[in-house]
Formats: sequence, C-alpha cells, structure tokens
Amino acid sequence: MRRVPRNWLWVGLLAAIVLMLPLVVTSRFAIDIFIRIALFAFIGVAWNLMGGYAKQLSLGHAAYFGLGAYTSTILEIRYGISPWLGMIAGGVVAMLASLPIGALCFRLRGPYFAIATIATAQVLMLLFLKFRDFAWGAEGTTIPNFGDAPLMMQFDEKSSYYFLALGLLALGVAITYRIEHSWMGYYLVAIGEDEDAAQAIGVNAPRVKRDIYMISAFLTALAGTFYVQYIYFIDPATAFSFNISVEAALVSIVGGIGTLWGPVVGTVLLETASALLQSWLGSSAGGVQLTIYSLILIAVILWRPSGLLGLFEDIYRRMVHARPARPKEALLDG
Amino acid sequence: MAEALVVRNLSKRFGGLRAVQDLGFSVGEGETLALIGPNGAGKTTSFNLVTGFHRADSGSVVAFGRELVGLPPYEVCALGVARTFQVARPFGTMTVLANVMTGAFLRDKTVSVARTRAQEAIAFVGLSAKEHIPARSLTTIDQRRLEMARALATVPRILLLDEVMAGLNPAEIDQAVALVGKLSARGLTIIIVEHVMRAIMAVARHIVVLDHGQKIAEGSPSEVVANPEVIRAYLGTGYVHAAQPVAAPC
Amino acid sequence: MLETLAQAVINGLLIGGIYALVSIGVTLIFGVVKIVNFAQGEFVMIGMYITFFLATRFGIDPLVSLAVSIPVLFLVGMLVQHFLIRRVLGLGDMPQIFLTFALSLLLMNVALLLFTANYRTVHTGYSDESIHLGAFYVPVAKLIAFGLAMVFSGILWLFLHFTDLGKAMRAAAQNPEVAMLMGINPHRVFAVAFGAALALAGAAGSLLMPFYPASPMAGQVFVLMAFVAVVLGTLGNVTGALVASLMMGIAESLGIQFVGADSGLIVVFLMLLLTLAFRPSGLAGGRGR
Repeated sequence: MRRVPRNWLWVGLLAAIVLMLPLVVTSRFAIDIFIRIALFAFIGVAWNLMGGYAKQLSLGHAAYFGLGAYTSTILEIRYGISPWLGMIAGGVVAMLASLPIGALCFRLRGPYFAIATIATAQVLMLLFLKFRDFAWGAEGTTIPNFGDAPLMMQFDEKSSYYFLALGLLALGVAITYRIEHSWMGYYLVAIGEDEDAAQAIGVNAPRVKRDIYMISAFLTALAGTFYVQYIYFIDPATAFSFNISVEAALVSIVGGIGTLWGPVVGTVLLETASALLQSWLGSSAGGVQLTIYSLILIAVILWRPSGLLGLFEDIYRRMVHARPARPKEALLDG
Repeated sequence: MAEALVVRNLSKRFGGLRAVQDLGFSVGEGETLALIGPNGAGKTTSFNLVTGFHRADSGSVVAFGRELVGLPPYEVCALGVARTFQVARPFGTMTVLANVMTGAFLRDKTVSVARTRAQEAIAFVGLSAKEHIPARSLTTIDQRRLEMARALATVPRILLLDEVMAGLNPAEIDQAVALVGKLSARGLTIIIVEHVMRAIMAVARHIVVLDHGQKIAEGSPSEVVANPEVIRAYLGTGYVHAAQPVAAPC
Repeated sequence: MLETLAQAVINGLLIGGIYALVSIGVTLIFGVVKIVNFAQGEFVMIGMYITFFLATRFGIDPLVSLAVSIPVLFLVGMLVQHFLIRRVLGLGDMPQIFLTFALSLLLMNVALLLFTANYRTVHTGYSDESIHLGAFYVPVAKLIAFGLAMVFSGILWLFLHFTDLGKAMRAAAQNPEVAMLMGINPHRVFAVAFGAALALAGAAGSLLMPFYPASPMAGQVFVLMAFVAVVLGTLGNVTGALVASLMMGIAESLGIQFVGADSGLIVVFLMLLLTLAFRPSGLAGGRGR
C-alpha cells in the first residue's frame, strides 16, 4: 500500500475534475459519453471483484444486468413502484439468481466456467424472449416518461444521470476498496492464484466464491436498472446483450485485472477510443468498435496481460520522479 | 500420551491403481512421525487423504477425536491439521507477508491481528527480511519456508510436512532440522514425509514405512532400518541378507 | 407421429455430423494444447466465405472447394498457433481464454466490415434435392455433408491412432513432460493439432454452404454446439465429441420439431446445464477437469 495521504490527494483532485465535468463540457454527445464511461466502469468494477481478484472469469454478467433491468421495470410499470426501490429489488433478485447459477457454474473451472456463464446469460435472454405476458417478450417495452421526476429516477438534466452513474461507480470502487483491504481481499486473490493451495490453509473457497458472486451480481443489477431509466427502453436483446458481458470483462483486463482502478482506466480508454472512432467514421459502422476492442485486447494480452494500469504507473513514475520504475509491486503487500 | 492422529484402514484407488491400501497408524500428541518409502509408495497420497484433498474410499482419520474423512481441506485445516506441499505453491503475486496473512486469517479475520501473527510465523522460519517481496521472486528454499510459515499461521496442532528437505545441501538440512525441532519443542505434532535419511534420523523417533500403498513396517529408526521388508522395498531382494541392527547415524 | 419423430431424428443426425467436425476440432485443441478455442466457429465461417467466393467467382462446387478450404485452414491453424497461441501457453487461464475470445471477436467483426451482415448462399444442383427412403426424405446436400463429415472424422481418428505424428499428439495430450523427454517437440505437435482442428472447421464450412447461408455470425451457433458437445463428450475425448455432437443434433432437431422453432438453442443449453449439474466430467467420465 502506498503512502496514504498522497494517494488521497490525487483521488481528491480527480474527483473534483470529474464532478465539475458537466459544468465545463455541455455538449449532449460528450455527456452521453461520460455517462457511458461511468456506467461501464461501474459494471467493470462489479465484474472485477469476481473476475479480476478471484479469477472467476465470467462472460455472462449480462444475466444480472438484465435481471436488474427487468425487475425494476416490471415493478415500475406493473406496480408503480419507484425504480429506486426497484433497483434494490433488482439487486436482490440478481443476488438470489447468482446462487443456483454459481452452484452450477463453479463446478467447472477456467474456460468452461466462462462458457457456462455465457450459456446462463443466453438462457435468460431466451426465456425473456418468450415471456410475453410477464415481460413483453421480444419487442420489449418503453418506460413511461414522467418528465422530471427524481423520485421515479427520471431527470430533465442529463447531468443528473451522470452524477447518478458516478455515484454508482463510487459505490463500486468503495466496496472494492473495503474488500481489498480486508480478509476477503486476500482470500479472493489466493483463490484466483491457486484455489487448492488456498483451501489447504483454511480458505473456504466455495463460500467465498459464492459470496463475491452475490456482491458482483447485485452491483451489476443496479447498473441494469440505471440503464433502463436512462434510455427509457428495455428488451431482452439489450438487457442480456453479450456485448455487455464482454465489455464488463474487457475493461478490467485492458485496464488492469484485479486492481482498484483498472476497470476505470480500461473503460476510459476503450470508450474514448470508441467515441473517437464513431465521430471519425461518421456512424457506428457495424463491426468497427468491436474490431478495435478485440485488437486492443489481443495486444494487451500478448504484451501486458496484467493490464495497462501497471504500464501507466511506470510511465508516471518515470516522468514525475525521473527515477527508474521500482520493481513491480505485489498486488497486496500487507 | 494422548493420540493426536489415528489413521485406520485408509484406502484409495485411482482407477485401477490402489494408491493407498488399508493404511493404519497413530501419532501421539507432540510426537514427530516420519513417513518413508520408495517413490510411488503413497506417502503424498496419504497426506492428501488426511487433509481432505482426495476423498478416501474407506477408512477413517481421527484428529483429536474428530473424524476428518469426508471433510473439505479448509475444514480439516480449521480443525488444526495443516500441510505443506511437495512442490511449493505460493500465491505468486502476493508478498510473503500477504501470503502468510492469508493463512492467519483462518483464526482471526482482523487485518492487524493477522498481520502480527503472520509476522511471527515469518520470523520463526527466518524470512523476516523478505516480508515485502512478491512470493514468485523467492528462491525455492525460501518458498519452502514460506509454505511452512503459511501453514504455521493457521495455528495447527498437527503439521504435515511433505519433503521439505528435498534438494537442500547439508547445512540447509541442519537448519531445516533445527526448525522442525523448534516446532516439536512447542508441542506441535509433526508428520514428515522424507527421503533424506539424515533428517529423518535426527527428528523422528517413530517411523512408518510404506510401499505400494501399504504399510510394511513401523517402529523406531533402528528397528525399521534393519527390517528385511524395508530393505527389500528400497533395494530389492538381493540385499535382505545384509540386514543387521544399525545404530542411528549422526 | 412416429414418422415425424424419425424424420426429426434423421435431420438431427445429419446436422450433428457438421457439429461433430467443429467439436472434434475444439476437443482436439483442448486435449493437446490444453486451451479452449473460442474462435473455432469463426474458422467455420471463414471456410464458408472461401467456399462462397470460389462458387460465385469461379463456379466451383462447394465439395470441390474442400480441396482449398481444408489446406488453407490447416495452414492458418499452424500460423495462429505459432504466432498467437504459443505466446500465452503456460500463462494461466485469463490470457488463454481472452486471446481466442478476442480472436473470435476480431474475425467476426472484420468479416462484418468486409462482407456486411447479409446472408450469402450458394445454390448447387443438389441443394434442393432429397432422397426418398420409404416415408422419409433425406436432403441430399445434408446427406453428403454428413457422409463426408464422418469420413473426415474417421481419417482424423486413424491419424491419431495409427501414425507416428498422431500418436505423438496423443502422447503430448496425455503427458506433455514425458512426451518431451521422448523427443516429441510440443510446439510442432500443437501446430499440427491446431492445423487439423481448423482444417476440420474449414471443411465444415464448405460442407455447409449448399444448404446453410454464410454470415459473419454464422460460426457462433456452431461453436456453442461444439462447446456443449465437448463438455458432454468429456473434455479432450474425440470419440466422445463425435457421439455427443450427434446426440445434440438430434436433441436440437427434436426440440425444434416438438417444442417450437426457436427452442433448439434452449434444448442445447438445458443439456449443458443438466450435464454440469449431474455429470460434470461428461459421458465418458473420469477426466474431470
């Protein structure tokens, strides 16, 4: 752990900049990008808890995104319940869903775990495509527009959504920080490194995996609710989109798997690249974004599998301190 | 002397291979037992069975009155039976301190308490100077020390050491032997799997010999060394005639 | 009713042959190189596009273009192994999973950019023909595809069991360290394994064209089927993958016939989840992880 005071200074500065952003930049397009960054960084942080620290590489997190989105939407449209409550409910639903899904998927390790998670997200999508009466089937639904209705999580000001997304991100980062510095953080990394050796020193791996999966699912579901409220629309293809699962994992891997800020760095990078590309090419040409993402991913894996955060830290140290970079610090140094 | 660990009729097959057959022995509290035998005799498998790594097909393992068979490894550890691995398995990206703290968390989930306990265990094995070094940067011997520190941090009552002396030079062996002696002096019950005769003779008064998964001899060092079955297992039938009582070396 | 059932079984069996080609490739790579090739479906897709262009530009029949798609994809496989896969061996799950995963994304999206999402079809003389066997009709194109799929699978099997290189591959799959001690060069073996697996995928692509449209996403369905078949048939087990693929083809077909047109996928996923729940090490058991 680095010297605490200096770190907090930087974080504070960054936080100030981030909070003032909507005041300085007013273009709707830009704010939309900021919201996307904040939201997907949050999803990435949620994924990272499980996939980054404990190396349980899920490619099916869209399952929880979708469950969160649908839960709050169903509660809102059918029962008039505020999405603020619906968000929590969605989180709980996701948490509960993660139990049987985890029980099944954790039987497999490595790539087969990933495949199993893909399968569960797909199954959910297929199920919701069929649920006509209950959940509007393949066409999905829009949510009623209440205008400026903060109590129903709808705002006139786009920047309000930005602050909400930021709030979620802050929540995710805070939770990650707390876990990282507690016994659970150590246990997660140990499981990710060598689950059997961890069990030999008393780590109840099944229970820890189950718990972190629940937390990860809960947080991802919150993002789902936010997204519906933001775009006023939901359908199975969007809610359970494989792209969401991919991006959740991608931003962490590119940014710095198993680190506190990795997902944020990764999201900023990828989303900015994507946005620049879109404005450069005019429209969102079908495969361009993913082509670029996959090229970046391949590059990162071949040259810096631990993610770019470490690289940036090295560069920063070189520039600011004019000293050669220290040998790579361990993830957790007590 | 109370029985720390009682193994009865322990058996395990892997497909057609009977890795461990009807194994039985007991270790008194505070005793140091050596488990020896030619390669493939089933020594590490026995460790794996005791600690829950593999599920025994039949038999029982009772530690301080609690049945271990059927329990997952983390519960076995919680009951006070810890083990090291033959090939060290450190958590590479974590520092030495973090590695050992992970073990310490079993007994107390508070970070500061775990850190203190971990530092004690690290000091005990002589790794204090390297507390903040990533485990993967350690030499093999230091990784072994780390294994031991990590296991000690779980505050075990029974410690299973799997070939900790392998590949050490004589000076290092003496150090390791001294370490084991210190542990024994604290009252820890120890079972070591070893090939290094010198070390075995120095630490163990009670030896169990395995061959092809079965116990072929048990007793004091001098008894075991003179046992014709043991000689046959290690050297072949041709040497049995040379069996004679041998005084423990060193 | 029985006839509908039997017809569905026949249809399922035929397509199962194609699934077999893809899944054998996946299980071969997994058994030998010990990684899961998420991009396997994309190589089927490449095979399809190669066949499509040969057919539309040069009028070459898909079956003839096998002579192109197989060697081309074999070569591609060896190159992929040499330049990409080799770099992440031994690095752990994350790089391995995400490398082939990224490759899959890349190939899919490049195809999307180059060829657009439009479906491309090849129409041959036999595309619409069927043979009548009693009350059943068997589409000729699918029958040929099935037959050749079985032939290629058989050839691979013979290769693995009767040639030195094939045996070297099986040795490397079972015990890489000992294989190395016996003088087997793992990277050469891996390259051949990858090449063979991708060649099978390419063959599948060519065989599919007479009755299945090509599109950038076409490979996705097949790779999903393949993964389930590989798990079901036990990881690394070539015969298991073959049998499981046929079973899955039949299951999917029965699902489509009796439950609904879009239920094929659900049936498949259910099979996966059931396998995971009750017999995670697959039908041939034993191998576990």
